[in-house]
Amino acid sequence: MNIDKAKVVKAKTKKVLGVLITYCILVIVAFIFFFPCLWLILASFSKSGSIYSFDGFFPKEYGGEAFKALFTDTVMYHYPKWFLNTLFIASMSCIFGTLLTILTAYCMSRFRFKSRKAMMKTTLVLGMFPSFMGTIAVYLMMTQFNLINQHWGLILIYSAQAPMGYMVQKGFFDTIPYSIDEAARIDGASNFTVFVKFILPMSKPILVYTALTAFTWPWSDFILPKMLLIDKDLYTVAVGLMSLGETEFARFAAGSIFIAIPIIVLYFCLVKYMINGMAAGAVKE
Amino acid sequence: MKMFDKTAGFFKSLPKRINAIPKNISLKFSGAKEIIKQGNGKVSASMIVMGLGQMLYKQWAKGFMYLFIQIAFIVYFILTGGADLFGLFTLGQVESNAWYGVEGDNSVVMMLMGILAVFLIILYLFIYVANVKDAYRLQCTEDTLKQPIPFGKEVGELLDKSFYKTAMALPIIGVCVFSILPIVFMILIAFTNYGEPYIPPALIDWVGLENFKNILSLGQFAPTFFKIFGWNILWAVLSTAINYLAGLGLALLLNKKCVKGKAIWRSFPILAYAIPGFITLLGFKFMFSYGGPINYYIQQGGGEAIGFLGLDAKWTARFIGLGVNAWISIPSTMLLATGILSNINTDLYEAARVDGASSFKQFIKITLPYVLFATTPVLISQFIGNFNNFGIFYFLRGGLDMDGYFLASDTDLLINWLYRMSIDNNYYSIGAAISLIIFIITSIISLTVYVLSPSYKQEETFR
Amino acid sequence: MANLSLKHIYKVYPNGAKAVNDFNMQIADKEFIVFVGPSGCGKSTTLRMIAGLEEITAGELKIGDTVVNGMEPKDRDIAMVFQNYALYPHMTIYENIAFGLRQRKIPDIKRDKKGNPVLDKKGKEIKIMRHYNKQELDAKVNEAAQILGITDYLKRKPKEMSGGQRQRVALGRAIVRQPKVMLLDEPLSNLDAKLRTQMRSEIVKLHKKLQTTFIYVTHDQVEAMTMGTRIVVMKDGFVKQIDTPKNLYKYPANKFVAGFIGTPQMNFFEGTLEKDGDKVHIDFKYSDAKITVPYSMLMKTTPQYLDGTKTVYIGFRAEDVTLDPDKVAESTAKIKMRISHSEELGTETLVYGDINMDGDGFAETSTRVIIKAGGFKEYSPDAICEAALDIDAIHLFDMDTEESIMPRIPEYNYLDCKVEKGKLSFLGNLVDLPPAIKIDDGNGEMLLPVSAVKFDGNIKGKVIDCEDINGQILVALEVNGGRLYALSDKVLGNGEVKIGIDFKQLILQVGKTEVQPMPTVNGLDGTFIMEKPIETITENEKTKKKKMPHYYLLVNGTKLEAPAEVYEKMFGATTGRKVYNSTYRYEWTPYDFKIADNGIEAQVIEVLDYGAEKFIKCSVGEETLYVLTDNTVSGVIKLVPDVSKVSVVESERQIRIV
Repeated sequence: MNIDKAKVVKAKTKKVLGVLITYCILVIVAFIFFFPCLWLILASFSKSGSIYSFDGFFPKEYGGEAFKALFTDTVMYHYPKWFLNTLFIASMSCIFGTLLTILTAYCMSRFRFKSRKAMMKTTLVLGMFPSFMGTIAVYLMMTQFNLINQHWGLILIYSAQAPMGYMVQKGFFDTIPYSIDEAARIDGASNFTVFVKFILPMSKPILVYTALTAFTWPWSDFILPKMLLIDKDLYTVAVGLMSLGETEFARFAAGSIFIAIPIIVLYFCLVKYMINGMAAGAVKE
Repeated sequence: MKMFDKTAGFFKSLPKRINAIPKNISLKFSGAKEIIKQGNGKVSASMIVMGLGQMLYKQWAKGFMYLFIQIAFIVYFILTGGADLFGLFTLGQVESNAWYGVEGDNSVVMMLMGILAVFLIILYLFIYVANVKDAYRLQCTEDTLKQPIPFGKEVGELLDKSFYKTAMALPIIGVCVFSILPIVFMILIAFTNYGEPYIPPALIDWVGLENFKNILSLGQFAPTFFKIFGWNILWAVLSTAINYLAGLGLALLLNKKCVKGKAIWRSFPILAYAIPGFITLLGFKFMFSYGGPINYYIQQGGGEAIGFLGLDAKWTARFIGLGVNAWISIPSTMLLATGILSNINTDLYEAARVDGASSFKQFIKITLPYVLFATTPVLISQFIGNFNNFGIFYFLRGGLDMDGYFLASDTDLLINWLYRMSIDNNYYSIGAAISLIIFIITSIISLTVYVLSPSYKQEETFR
Repeated sequence: MANLSLKHIYKVYPNGAKAVNDFNMQIADKEFIVFVGPSGCGKSTTLRMIAGLEEITAGELKIGDTVVNGMEPKDRDIAMVFQNYALYPHMTIYENIAFGLRQRKIPDIKRDKKGNPVLDKKGKEIKIMRHYNKQELDAKVNEAAQILGITDYLKRKPKEMSGGQRQRVALGRAIVRQPKVMLLDEPLSNLDAKLRTQMRSEIVKLHKKLQTTFIYVTHDQVEAMTMGTRIVVMKDGFVKQIDTPKNLYKYPANKFVAGFIGTPQMNFFEGTLEKDGDKVHIDFKYSDAKITVPYSMLMKTTPQYLDGTKTVYIGFRAEDVTLDPDKVAESTAKIKMRISHSEELGTETLVYGDINMDGDGFAETSTRVIIKAGGFKEYSPDAICEAALDIDAIHLFDMDTEESIMPRIPEYNYLDCKVEKGKLSFLGNLVDLPPAIKIDDGNGEMLLPVSAVKFDGNIKGKVIDCEDINGQILVALEVNGGRLYALSDKVLGNGEVKIGIDFKQLILQVGKTEVQPMPTVNGLDGTFIMEKPIETITENEKTKKKKMPHYYLLVNGTKLEAPAEVYEKMFGATTGRKVYNSTYRYEWTPYDFKIADNGIEAQVIEVLDYGAEKFIKCSVGEETLYVLTDNTVSGVIKLVPDVSKVSVVESERQIRIV
């Protein structure tokens, strides 16, 4: 009896200890991930703005000047304009990119046409190329098409390149049973109807996932805009913020927070879809 | 997942396939042979004038459509296409001369337009073959007394049976123009002398494998290349391992039954995930800068300010890079692993517990194999992503030139180097050659890893 | 509400694999047909071909009077229920059921807002196609819901419902359109056992109520037996048997059907049969068991198996073996066995044993016996006892083909005979042998095919029984006290008849010489061609010169113009111009040829005179042909076959087309 009791007690302490360690690690993790964000938030409320006038992580004086400057001092850095530019580019790319990606994935999942396998292999191989050097060609092409220094040029590129990453979405569509398509066909629906009335409404998680990735990419990309946009007024936030120096740290922080918030909100609202979409796409094919 | 599988299988069966090529080609052309041998006059008419056969079969709309395509192509070819194609081979013959007011050829643009012309010719040939096949199909329907499909219905099918044609048209065009064409361009550039001093308006020429020789053996590039390459591999392996294990560990930790308020705990990493990468990177750069908060505390403690990311901070900078990359990448791995963990069949655990397996054993025997199995493709794509991780050192430590390195620093990865060389310093052809090398390396590594991975070996075990 | 006709239906995949092989069936209106077989047998593929979800490689499928090959599923007027229900998860039950109706248009006349017909200028009603309106939809959906008892759930989503309810919705979605044919693809497989039984009877009820043709696919033979009016048993793409549940159970045409239908599985032994006068000895292999039964009980057995050398499968169902001491005492067919264990099922007990004393009774061997005995009786393991076999219920199958060697319609009458001076005597009758049959005198045996007994001649017989077996009428005759089976196309009253023998089908063995029957299929390889000569034709009272296509079978250099019904089927079974690039085997019976001035050249080998009919045995290339003739010919002749009676097999894929 006694031995048993000792065993139970031992097991219990072990368990409690385990829980304690777990929570300790969690607190540390939370701190690691949260502190830099907190630092940025605090910095954005710094009165002076330069990184050199900080007490370590903490500004010496707090004030909303940075935010005010962000939206009012638009001579050098036209942040509101950048923000709208980014929003425009990201939203448009999101709409077109999602549409094209979903269509591609749906076709790859549901149709068996001649060049299908060749296409799948090609995209897989293409995915391994560093997309970098291509940007020179893209740049030259854009000059030829007269799309340099224009937002639509960026949107075109983002949307056109999006379907390359169709595999996750295809994996999701593969999990939707074929018999639903067949039942609908017997009911008299065409493939177009099947896609619009059945597949799309059933694919919310993956739609959200696709839209989110299609939105965040242009939202935070800096290579293409830096290359293709010349006028400061046409800049996206990413390019604009990069042009800020260390003395404008508070403004940088304020601008960063402002651009991060929409995405953070989206992510938190849609985290469930994200997890489902990612997992479905990953496990199947 | 199967895609990787098939690619791996493809490389394995390569010898067999090569042997089968003559047979396959003859099979491919057996259709063409049949058409040439058995096609009637109307089919031949379509071979000469696109759409003529269709018109002779009274399919007017389709016939005119094909005819229009042929005319449009001929017009294009005469106006620009032919010259463009020719230009792809010469890359320009007239050098510009400001003195005499000669506007010379722009070799790079010529190359681009040449590739475009090749694409268009391929597209045209596709349509041409489709046209002949269609005429032959009409002959078949006539010869076997079947009802020809009216053009209107064929168009209507674009929303039904051939919906994929409608749906895929735009994506394919987009990918061809903005993904494939640039890659082809890049590959071709690797075989030219494009780069200082051969920058338009100077003429550019084909140089064969010269660039590769330069990178691998010539004094200027070779030492830098091998130094960077070594670090790049180390970086890719280390960062992938760190991110993967930490992400998985975090997911497991959050998956524990004893953890209350999972959503809240999970929200911290998600916060990090949601912040655009360049903000994070710039933020960290500020954090570790000379005047940054870390150095502030060091100075407060009486120490000397350390150039964490400075010129001689080789390993500290590298470690900071790994850490920052982890900060950015762990959350996404965690989300993925969370999704996959929720898919594990819980019966497996119950069976293991009945068998008396400890929780550690359960992890080793069930969780790890399953997750590894499910995430191998992701692991590979993460590896490739890290191998080509441009952002980290571009932001943290961009633009440093160091001794012993040619236009690079000791933290730069190949991708940073090629950016510096091509975009900042105009060594385009060398850059292109480097990207080809990167491609070859990444594809070999990822295929090997995949073939050795559990998901390749035991596809069916967890199904 | 329609009948279906499936003729020579094939499904061949591009890699050459045949999922369905020469499926032939006529399905009458209002039948409940069940396709049953193990997985991969082609039952689902057949169903999906009927539905239009899978292309038909070759063959003709008719629903009602329309050939529906190549028609879209929605145009075939069919409905289908899927194994996983395939409900639309994002729609309410109402919408699920109504969707099919919404997609359809119905003919109507144009009406104004008040519902009065709008007339055109001539005062006629204007015909239009329109969608169902709200009231009509409501009415139809509610009616369907009421039939299936799901009225209360119409506003729910599928995921809020149980498996049984979901299947009801799937059924509702199918019946709401009132299709001509209902197709059900393993609809109950995803339900638990109890629900399955319940839904089973509900589907049968539904069939009675709707009075529609049902085709139901299942792998569960119990479902098949309880639901179908007729059952199609399939295996490896072949139809094994099509019959009513009762006949399938009583008269399985092959070992597969015998084993597949019925639980517990039929007991299969291996053994030999040896005819000895009017007795037959049955010797069981791997065991000492031997029984002797009167030949009259095994009359229908194909005679070649009765020589005591060929091993055959001997099958008895569990209920046809008994341990009941009274019955065993009476029985003449007793075998010794050792009991190994028993399973009590309440109403009955399954006793497992082995006729090989060393056998364990567990493994499925060719000595294991399962016996159905009455409920709750104790059977001590390892006891050795005697069991009685019900010889009336014996089933015999060939070892290799596994086909029944005791079919319901026997192949041959097995008779002793005597040949003397060109005359054949059997069953007390003496008939002249035709000149074609050359055989020495002596005593011997004859195998008289049932189809070779004709109801004209001068042998006196007596009809004692007539039995309709799937449209064929088997007549049992008594001739001089001996028994003879014959086939007839109509039911004959009992009484005297006169019969004769078709000698060309007869197999005769006297001493060491054997007379084989004359082959009845003449096969020739050939191709198919088209020619387009310019012809003058009259069209709308105008004469025009026009290219007119003609289609020919090309056999040995001879063109035979093909009639429409032949070439249309050949076109239907091929894609592109493959029909012109394939080789075919054309087959005719000996009656389909004429001798003419132009035709297929043939070298006469001999003329066979069977008395009533004369045949030319001749050779064309490497093939040997038998052709009916009126007069004796020799040398080279030219044959013209009747192309309308040709049957065509595509050589490459082995597909029977016509």
